[in-house]
Amino acid sequence: MTRFLLLLGSIALFHPLTLAQDAATPPKNADNIYKSVVRIEVATQVADYRTPWNSGRFGGGTGSGFLIGPNRFLTNAHVVSDAHRILITKRGSAQKHPARVIHVAHDCDLAILEVEDSVPFEKLEYLELGGVPALESQVRVIGYPVGGDRISVTRGVVSRIDFRPYSHSRVDSHLVVQIDAAINPGNSGGPVLQDGKVVGVAFQGLRQADNTGYMIPTPVINRFLKDVGDGNYDKYVDLGITEFPLFNPAMRKALNVPENGLGVMIASVMPTGPCDGLMEPGDVLISIDGSPIDNAGNIEVQSEKVVLHEAVERKFAGDKVKLEFLRSGEKKDLTITLKAFPHSRIYAVRYGERPRFIFFAGLVFQPLDFNLYSAHQFKSPRVRKIFQNYVRDAIFKDREDVVVLTRVESDHLTSFITGFNGTVLDEINGTKVKNLQQAYDLLYAENHPEFITLKCNGIDRPIVIPSAEVEAANKRIMQTNGIFRSYNLGDSHPAAK
Amino acid sequence: MKRPFLSLLSCTLGFLATAPHSLAIDAKGLLRVNTTIQTYSISQPWELTPPKRRRGLGAVLESGKILTTAEMAANSTYIEFESADGTHTVPATVIAIDYETNLALLGPEEGANADWILKLGTLKTNGPVGIGDEVDIWQLEDNGDAVRTVGTVRSVDLLSTFASGHYFLSYEVKASMQSATSSYTLPITLNGNLLGILTSYNSKDQISDVVAPEIVKIFLDDVKDGNYEGFPSLGIATVLTEDSNFRKWLGLKDEQGGLYVSRVLPGSGADESGLKKGDVILTVDGHPIDRRGYYKDESYGRLFWSHLVRGSRKVGERLSLVILREGKEQTLKAVLRRPPPKLIPSHMYDKAPPFLIKGGLVFQELTRSYLEAFGKEWQSRAPLNLLDALNNPEDYEEGRDRLVFLSRVIRTPATIGYDRVANLIVTEANGQKVTDMNSLVTALKDPKDGLHSIRIDDIPYVLYLDPQLSDSVDKTLLERGLPSLQRLP
Repeated sequence: MTRFLLLLGSIALFHPLTLAQDAATPPKNADNIYKSVVRIEVATQVADYRTPWNSGRFGGGTGSGFLIGPNRFLTNAHVVSDAHRILITKRGSAQKHPARVIHVAHDCDLAILEVEDSVPFEKLEYLELGGVPALESQVRVIGYPVGGDRISVTRGVVSRIDFRPYSHSRVDSHLVVQIDAAINPGNSGGPVLQDGKVVGVAFQGLRQADNTGYMIPTPVINRFLKDVGDGNYDKYVDLGITEFPLFNPAMRKALNVPENGLGVMIASVMPTGPCDGLMEPGDVLISIDGSPIDNAGNIEVQSEKVVLHEAVERKFAGDKVKLEFLRSGEKKDLTITLKAFPHSRIYAVRYGERPRFIFFAGLVFQPLDFNLYSAHQFKSPRVRKIFQNYVRDAIFKDREDVVVLTRVESDHLTSFITGFNGTVLDEINGTKVKNLQQAYDLLYAENHPEFITLKCNGIDRPIVIPSAEVEAANKRIMQTNGIFRSYNLGDSHPAAK
Repeated sequence: MKRPFLSLLSCTLGFLATAPHSLAIDAKGLLRVNTTIQTYSISQPWELTPPKRRRGLGAVLESGKILTTAEMAANSTYIEFESADGTHTVPATVIAIDYETNLALLGPEEGANADWILKLGTLKTNGPVGIGDEVDIWQLEDNGDAVRTVGTVRSVDLLSTFASGHYFLSYEVKASMQSATSSYTLPITLNGNLLGILTSYNSKDQISDVVAPEIVKIFLDDVKDGNYEGFPSLGIATVLTEDSNFRKWLGLKDEQGGLYVSRVLPGSGADESGLKKGDVILTVDGHPIDRRGYYKDESYGRLFWSHLVRGSRKVGERLSLVILREGKEQTLKAVLRRPPPKLIPSHMYDKAPPFLIKGGLVFQELTRSYLEAFGKEWQSRAPLNLLDALNNPEDYEEGRDRLVFLSRVIRTPATIGYDRVANLIVTEANGQKVTDMNSLVTALKDPKDGLHSIRIDDIPYVLYLDPQLSDSVDKTLLERGLPSLQRLP
């Protein structure tokens, strides 16, 4: 046996798995499947939140995608994010077909594209979606990763099925399947197949570990396809509660929880969320849609323990969820209607947006979101606190936008405006700032008092700007600093995005 | 005020071996001060950190007392005096210590034989000198020889040399000194009279910071009646009025200076005088204050205005202020006081931090030092809620004397499930408002419905403890070597 292996050593390198496997041999229609996997070439423009008036950084990359319906290509959101030109190439063709994004879901890293001219793709097979592959079963990853121009196929074994963070948006977690096939740059958006059916979309790897690739499994893909069925992507919905495990006996006793291992404490209820006004901190959630919740906040799905939030993973805005909870030991039933909770997106990475800003008399104001926060690395504990507690303390009720003074451009008008950088603008001429549009309206109002006063959070003195000097200063500073537009207000309501 | 300086703590070694003006000669009134310093552990406030030893110099005054820096004596667990040649030693005690000015007055322990000290000779205190004057800086060699280095007073400024945020008149003396064993806390003399105490030396710039004679005099005068009060404060925060737009808005004329009052501490002398936020201070005791906060001092030239309060007056004295309010000038009289106690003290020198352990929950009163212990980057690494309280105490002051917080959780049977809770501000215990550590202790004597409940400022917002279980856990903790379960202020 040893001798045999030695002799075959060099050959085994090319197809090591064919010796041991049976189910995952290339299906008869392998060539047709390959044809339906396309290369996606993207030219990107990534916004620069430090100089919001500038164009940002131009760049590009490649990814994979596959045909799932008539002129419908599925890929990852991160493959086409910030794209200003998308080209799709068929296998074995030199032709680049211009394409556009039809739907993009940054919260689950999926997107649907179409090509402008679908004729060259009409004869291709649509790949069919399968189920969740079993642990230890084999899968094939097909795509156009780095290391060559032609299509690439790698094989791997399903090594874990888990609820994990999706790195594209930074804040969302969904079901993922971990495989031991390498997923490399360029593989993203390509199909993962088993028995000729798509069981996932390859989407991320682990930098610190070898042979760990992650794919988005079909329950997440199906949810996305169902969501966009009406022509719009409505995003995931959330229960809007934070729970605290009930491991402590004294805590269980205080909350009148029977010692049956069930129940998790509600620590906070998000203002304006679906449970707002219906549940209170200190309530003990004992079941969700009939599934009992244990003291750690887990439910059992297909004999696996998962966090209770997974119960709403496949649901949509408008769907109902039945909750059972204890309040002061008394059992209560509640049916809530799920709804989108846009304010929590302040913590998600934003893509494809031109940064919103206002330039005024040498001062640059921008609304606070994750992109701004990470671009400027705000140090002030005040800004950090507002950012951290924006949802928890319902700061969004008073401030749709938290407007931050991010830059003070050099000019004789601003030379003594020091220490204000990176602070939150509270008031303009005594009026509380609610959003960027309103701030703009106040700053560029027709009739100003002699002095415009700006109050910044945590700073003891106002910024004072003589109204008469604003126009000349704007002109002068914009010209010197190459600021060619004085504002981008975008959609006035951040939640609209 | 803004000049960076290096403390001798960090840079005693590594400068020039011999200096041009150094001469080995006998010196009077010099002795060594050896101290052992121990602070309390930040995370386990019931225990002391390992001892550090410090050697410095002291100046023998005519009274037989020894003047040195507060830095030498703060948090000391043992102090002794040693003669230059090492033949005599005697244990010492602190008579008065001022962390703000960085001065301490020490004396030999009562009943101990310290006659040798007076035989060293004593130093008279000297009045102020001028910029450009030459002074003598004293060091002791290992062999007991005194080394004199001549330096020149280069400038005068207000510096904070020990407790942060307290600025006092200091001389900046240019001199090239050598490294010697006790290059720490060096007396400065002029014609054999004591001028001040050196608090730090920057070997790169060869600049020493010296507590000015005026400050030494006020300190020593204050000690005389046996009841040390400390230096006064007006109790305001100010903003400069350099910004011409800001000045126009305030209605200040070009020839006027002015200091914008941005905060008035409740209960301070400024508060009692009627000074309000938004007032502009034009003169202090008749000295016009310029737009950058300086006045013209008769001897030293431009000095920051705070010297007129902190370095020129005593507690209880009156100060007159001319202010601009709503375009009109007014004169206010303020009685100077010690600064009112802070919600979050900036330091806890020589004080054991109060703490309470209940069932494994560890409670402390927040101090600036606690946050500084998060390392060099503490302003970004310390817990955000506690940092916010430090930066904006006025948001937390209502109904509180101190900010009590749950610093950590020791894993015990009573704290199952609370393992990851740490650094949360305590608001209530058993339904009673927590205003300081004592109030928490009182509240925790009275569990409601058979349980302790402690309300905190973040998830899970309330912690519950079983009173019997937590009492038995506390007993176990004592058996495990905790010296006590509480230390009250």
